[in-house]
Amino acid sequence: MPGNAAMDCQDVRLHLLDYQRGSLDPARQQDVRTHLGGCAACTRVEAVEQTLTELLERRLPVHPASLALKRRLAAAWPAPVRTPRPWRRGLWGWQLAPGLAVAAALLVALPLLYYERATVGRADGTAGMVTEALNDHLRLLQSERPLEVESGGIHRVKPWFEGRLDFAPVVPFAGDQEFPLKGGAVAYFLDRKAAALVYGRRLHSISLFVFRADGLAWPTRGLRPIGRATASATTVRGFTVVLWRSGDLGYALVSDVDPADLLDLAARIVGG
Amino acid sequence: MSHSEAGLGRDALAYADTLHNLARYLTRSETDAEDLVQETYVRALAAAGQFTPGTNLKAWLFRILRNTFISQYRRQRNNPTVGGLDTVDSGALGPAEENWLLGDIELDRLRKVVAGDIERALMSLSEDARTVILLDLEGLTETEVAEVVSCPVGTVKSRLARARAALRQELRDYAR
Repeated sequence: MPGNAAMDCQDVRLHLLDYQRGSLDPARQQDVRTHLGGCAACTRVEAVEQTLTELLERRLPVHPASLALKRRLAAAWPAPVRTPRPWRRGLWGWQLAPGLAVAAALLVALPLLYYERATVGRADGTAGMVTEALNDHLRLLQSERPLEVESGGIHRVKPWFEGRLDFAPVVPFAGDQEFPLKGGAVAYFLDRKAAALVYGRRLHSISLFVFRADGLAWPTRGLRPIGRATASATTVRGFTVVLWRSGDLGYALVSDVDPADLLDLAARIVGG
Repeated sequence: MSHSEAGLGRDALAYADTLHNLARYLTRSETDAEDLVQETYVRALAAAGQFTPGTNLKAWLFRILRNTFISQYRRQRNNPTVGGLDTVDSGALGPAEENWLLGDIELDRLRKVVAGDIERALMSLSEDARTVILLDLEGLTETEVAEVVSCPVGTVKSRLARARAALRQELRDYAR
């Protein structure tokens, strides 16, 4: 059997999955590539492995938990009650309250509260935004009705946000077979309203939060180009959070899918 | 409930879908799968203090689920694993028996296998084989898979290779 002397066919076939996933060290990756270049049998086996992987990833039926089961689980192991941030909820309440005294109090308190929030945000830096994105994602997943509008396509979801947000979310990617758009909801990201769109990826849910980008401590280090944008990607407790800006809007994409898949989706969203 | 346990619970609930999927493929029954997942969360809650922050919570939950399945469901169903993967004769699943896939026509047929056939083929494998294929599909590392199925890290790669070879063999019947 032709091939590289460093690896025989048996070795190569044992490492084919790692090779296809690019998880071998560079030298070993090259050894496999060299062997495949000269061995028709192993090249065919590689094609078979790739086909099997695609079958499993795209066609194997998945069996998600029923809503009834999720409710029972949540009841047995309740999530901590999220205390509303005092100025997030409070602000809307105060705005609706009549009276000059209230208005005067707002005039004094609002700049102070904003300053406090902005200062805290900068002190936390990227970590604060990553934590917020992750918490918002988990909250969305655990919500009994996570999606306020079920997707009949992006053309149904996007108009639904009109009147519910003080900005127009720009989401060029309408979803496809690999990342179907499930629906949307209004959420909060730190101190501001956000459009939450949920995409699917096999068993997993992926949350995209779109919000006004101003006044936040955006990451400046470790950025990578994704389409026309530069983004940061952080993995925490098995979840990956991708953050980027585009114009006046900020984007946070979060899920427990493979980070490569999440970056793939980010590129589709950025690139439209 | 301590704050850390509550936080862990909140994170753990996000994996209900993936845990149920594995449970469904292990038990072959919707009712048993729901019971298994529920029991898994009960045990995880009781053992929350043993979880090491910074490690893979999903893998930890998978291990609890599988151990629960082995200790409760497998015995009840009196359906022991047939031919554990470590005892499979590697020659029986070697290249010689995969010649059916080496032609373009056969490979093209494989690409057209439908979802139900893949599920049936997977279900026909041993429980160990099903487990390693599904855990790999979930993106667990070899080390994490080894912890879930309680085997040495060094044998995960060969277990997975044998499991996939067995699946290809099963798919042969559907790809014709």
